[in-house]
Amino acid sequence: MTKSTKALEFRFERTIPASPDEVYDAWLNPKIPGNPWNAADKLILNPKVDGFFYWTFKGTPHYGRFTEVERPSRIQHTWMSPNTLGEESTVTVAFQKRGEDTLMTLVHSDLPDDDKARSHENGWNYFLDLFPKQFGDASRASR
Amino acid sequence: MEKGLARHYTLWCNVAMDQLTDVLIAISHPTRRAIIGQLANGPARFLDVAKQFDTALNAVTKHLKLLERAGLIKRRKQGREVLISFRGEPLREVAGWMHEYERFWNERLDQFEQYFKDKKKKEKKQ
Repeated sequence: MTKSTKALEFRFERTIPASPDEVYDAWLNPKIPGNPWNAADKLILNPKVDGFFYWTFKGTPHYGRFTEVERPSRIQHTWMSPNTLGEESTVTVAFQKRGEDTLMTLVHSDLPDDDKARSHENGWNYFLDLFPKQFGDASRASR
Repeated sequence: MEKGLARHYTLWCNVAMDQLTDVLIAISHPTRRAIIGQLANGPARFLDVAKQFDTALNAVTKHLKLLERAGLIKRRKQGREVLISFRGEPLREVAGWMHEYERFWNERLDQFEQYFKDKKKKEKKQ
């Protein structure tokens, strides 16, 4: 399969009331609510560089390979699922100390932006411009 | 497993592609977008819609059929006239589909943040 030349990217930020060490460890602990592993029906998780993960959610498989594992500042892994159209996307999570808290930044990048995805994006931009009042929840910006 | 997340995820995976395709085809043409723009301001009669365009009535009829198939317009009789009105729901569904990754991560991160907030509250009480 030829990789898309263009890609979509989503970026999220949260301020977590805990130290980067605690937040980092919690992100990799499947018992902690909110991390992706916690949502798994079945999980295989090996969070070290070149370690793999496999998890299913509602029967949908997800695969990935850890590319950066730097406690307590950064985790990066690839992410593949039927929803990435068979292509490798990238999830990067950064943890930065902010006083007693941690600024957590998650970027999901390299999501395939083929003609089909592009047409969806065009549609999205188009009707966001035209009908801003009708898309209250759906137009919520990432924090 | 959280019901809300499961619901979103199921929608994401099982989204009705045929309807999405119909909606995207419908909004891919400038004339149809202009029709949507006009009807977004309120219902109109067929001839009121058609007179905006320098095109045959037959062509406008075809555009309206595509919009109707996508569920973006509906027709209703009012006396002897047929009024055509805009429906926004299919566009919202397309928006939701497009941004399911955004929803997925937002839900995960909201829950993750809440876990730490609750933990901190408990620690303060002790």
